[in-house]
Amino acid sequence: MFYLTRMLGRPVVDAAGETIGRISDVAIATREVFPRVTSLAFLGPEKTPFMLSWRKFVSAIDDERVTLNVTRDALRFSYLQPDEILLARDLLNQQIVDTQGMKVVRVNDLKLSESRNQLRLLGAEVGIRGILRGIHPALERMAERILRLFGAELPEDLIAWNYMDLLDRDLSHVQLSVTHKRLHELHPADIADVLEQLSPAQRAKIFEHLDNSQAADTISELEDAFQADVIGDLGSQRASDILEIMDPDDAADIIGDLPYDKAEALLHLMGVEESGAVRSLLGYREKTAGGIMTPEVTTVAAGMTVQQVIDHLRGEAAENESIYYLYVTDEDDHLDGVISLRDLVVSDPETLVADIVKKDVITAYVEDDQEDVAETMSKYDLLAMPVVDENNKLLGIVTVDDALDVLEEESAEDLELATGQRAKAGITGIWRWVSRNGWLVVWSILAVAAAATSSATLVLLLAATVILRIAEDMASHALSRVIEAEDEEEKLPAWRRFAGDALAGVGLGLIVGLVTAAIAWLVSSEPGVGIPGVGLAPRFEVAVAVGLVYALSVLLLSLASTVIARVAERIAGRGHRVSGMVVTVSLMVVGAVSFAGFAYIAYKIVPTLSVVG
Amino acid sequence: MTSTTEKRTKTGIFALFAVIGPGIIAASAGNDSGGISTYSVAGAKYGYTMLWMMLAMTPSFAIVQEMAGRMGAVTGKGFSALIRERFGVRPTFLAMLLLLASNAATTIAEFAGIAAAMQLFGVSKYLSVPIAAVVVWLLVVRGSYRNVEKVLLALSSVFIAYVVAAFLAKPDWGAVAVSFVVPKIVPTQAFIALAIGLTGTTIAPWMQFLVQSNIVDKGTTVKEWALARWDVIVGAIAANVIACFIIITTATVLHPAGIQVTSAGEAARALAPLAGHYAEALFAIGLLSASVLAAAVLPLTASYAICEAFGWESGLDRSWSEAPLFNGLYTFVILTGAAVILLPGLNLISIMLVSQVVNGMLLPFLLIFMMIIVNDRKIMGRHVNGRINNLFAWTTIVVVIALTALLLGMTLLGIG
Repeated sequence: MFYLTRMLGRPVVDAAGETIGRISDVAIATREVFPRVTSLAFLGPEKTPFMLSWRKFVSAIDDERVTLNVTRDALRFSYLQPDEILLARDLLNQQIVDTQGMKVVRVNDLKLSESRNQLRLLGAEVGIRGILRGIHPALERMAERILRLFGAELPEDLIAWNYMDLLDRDLSHVQLSVTHKRLHELHPADIADVLEQLSPAQRAKIFEHLDNSQAADTISELEDAFQADVIGDLGSQRASDILEIMDPDDAADIIGDLPYDKAEALLHLMGVEESGAVRSLLGYREKTAGGIMTPEVTTVAAGMTVQQVIDHLRGEAAENESIYYLYVTDEDDHLDGVISLRDLVVSDPETLVADIVKKDVITAYVEDDQEDVAETMSKYDLLAMPVVDENNKLLGIVTVDDALDVLEEESAEDLELATGQRAKAGITGIWRWVSRNGWLVVWSILAVAAAATSSATLVLLLAATVILRIAEDMASHALSRVIEAEDEEEKLPAWRRFAGDALAGVGLGLIVGLVTAAIAWLVSSEPGVGIPGVGLAPRFEVAVAVGLVYALSVLLLSLASTVIARVAERIAGRGHRVSGMVVTVSLMVVGAVSFAGFAYIAYKIVPTLSVVG
Repeated sequence: MTSTTEKRTKTGIFALFAVIGPGIIAASAGNDSGGISTYSVAGAKYGYTMLWMMLAMTPSFAIVQEMAGRMGAVTGKGFSALIRERFGVRPTFLAMLLLLASNAATTIAEFAGIAAAMQLFGVSKYLSVPIAAVVVWLLVVRGSYRNVEKVLLALSSVFIAYVVAAFLAKPDWGAVAVSFVVPKIVPTQAFIALAIGLTGTTIAPWMQFLVQSNIVDKGTTVKEWALARWDVIVGAIAANVIACFIIITTATVLHPAGIQVTSAGEAARALAPLAGHYAEALFAIGLLSASVLAAAVLPLTASYAICEAFGWESGLDRSWSEAPLFNGLYTFVILTGAAVILLPGLNLISIMLVSQVVNGMLLPFLLIFMMIIVNDRKIMGRHVNGRINNLFAWTTIVVVIALTALLLGMTLLGIG
């Protein structure tokens, strides 16, 4: 196994054993799945660059050097071929798109394998391992050894050649292997995911490779925040071409977000029909049925035959966004009824539309809230829903994909309202923690208020926080025991649970004791810790006492939680409701009281110790 | 042609004002806690003596900022990405360590600024700093600092008050003018250190990363750069003009009275000719908002730059599991910054000063990276540096390294 970073700079030795230069790069043929190394580039004396054919001149390669099969004079130098790329120049340290993982990554190293003097590229290393090796190989080995102590491995993050797409160098003229997956060949939704990770300049480069219809699909899949930016950065002509291809409702969304001048310029460049459709949509308010509908509706007249309708579908209506439902309207566009594609297909060609039409259509009023529309659609499993004005005139339809977007958006917004957190920021976990621990905030405010009387109170109250947190945790355990009371066999025997809690208590005591000792030694310049109303107390004893207070409080809490859980189980067994609040609060009270009690005892005892010691 | 160019080319002079307006505001706020304290100390301790350095540094600062912006506009990539692609992993690792050190040091200074400002309002640092750390962290993770940014910017522009205060203090303008053009050096360690700090706070290393990534994020192209560069240049000059007025004010008010700036309260007294009894409040508001803003921006800059260099996933919309290193880095910088200030018995003003000296010492090394990249034709094409740019930048590098060596030598030999 060879790594490019370790090969670079190694000597190139000719058949006579003379060093003629140092490796500066290797080229690969791009057409294979595991491309062969075809050329060796090296720097001769005075940094003169040379390049020679790997197949013709390299006789052996090992960790130390590359050995050539002829002497220096017999070498024939070559040039980089159009289908070759240089690994160090074009790949190493560059950003590439991992077209399998849909991520933008940086190449930290390249891994090659050797068989019969033939080097092949296995893939690009993009993980932390390559970085460590790049800084120093010893660092990689050290990290590996340390991780092994913890039973973990330092993973190698390899991306194979056929799943790479290069961002920087324009390789469009290079013939890649047949199986090669280029970014612009992916599904538009996947392209959109990758684009969101790139800078505006890089995004623009990718868009140059996409044809207009791909670009339109991709832009539709981008997050709203990016859409207007991307369209804004494209040339006006291209942007208007792309907008024409997009569904009018999507196009209207984007144009609505653009600055007025730009929007007008684009609308002018678009075809009359398309810009008309977009303009009419721009008049509707956002977040209403009108705002998300598309005006491309397939309408038929009641007097048509089934055969005529099918002909109509094949002809002018073929491009419409949705043709699963056909709406029956009169000459003034008033909605009369609906026929489904299924009705149409199973009916005799000569049947009149009027005979198969369903009159009770579920419609949305144009000013309806988009969320209500989506709810209705999901309730009735509709693929599309017609939107009408107050005169029952058909304006457009809301299709199922737009309804899905709405549901997604609204659930994100609801979450935002409930937690006060933008779902997009993606730290919902932390926020859940904060909102669940709201009492902690209240507690600390109270503690600070109480601190106005004396700073010792503040210390005591803050110190009790840990105990209260533990009490809350134990309460939730106790409650879950009550709730899952039927899983008798899974219950631990009481003594084992108690032993576990005792261990945790001792551990906590130890930690708190150590921290206290550390703080006492650091903060206090005096020989002891000042205790209000008593004077100085020896540091060591104070640390032990604080640790003990915590350990004992946890033990007492554990006992109490066992008892309370029993009581709660009994109450629940009689069919009464158990209030989680009551369980939690009573455990917190026990915790606070025991903590205060033990602290008071310690407060009385420690000073006497100092007299003794 | 993109929308911005269309808009900009349409209306000449007004467009120029629209472009440079934000630059001036941003620059006046760019005088963060480290800047305010360094300039105040310089004025109080040495009077007008250091003014000539500010004059000498202004072109360097403008040029360095312009270089950073130009690299962004030409390549569409951040500074750290360019370092990585030009130099490989090992130098990048070094550069990122430098950036992290410079950034962490400045973040510590920002929390020192917050603590000092709140102390002027009578709030203990043990209360203000933890709360500020949480507030800053929330501003960053919720991405809401962009909303608060404008308020903080507006509040921190109270430092423009120094311009008025300088006139009210009635300095000897003749002496001021002479100090601007006559170089004078006091051969003491304190003076040399302060000179390094002055450079570090004026041409802060992290600011180059920030300017470049701003240009990249805005998608500014080479064509648009012709106009956008004036934003950067005018901003840089405006920042230094305000810095000069801070030095003039403190030199006129504090220096003759023999007041050494050892606390924010003393620094605030320089505003007394203007604000009288409200000098402390005015100073505290400016210091607090500038510090909070910078404390949110700095860790984020480091986080983005480092992730860009190593190809780690980054972005405020990525969760902890998607981008652990990105989220971990800025959280780490904020927590360290706050934690250091919580240590008992620190002098906040010295912390701010020391952080700027650290910045000054690290600056030349990052500038060397910048100079090599910006002069590489393979990367910059025909937009490589001109001769004047190179002259100023290399002079800055050489002078700061010489000053650092001088300071080291003096410390080791016990001179001054």
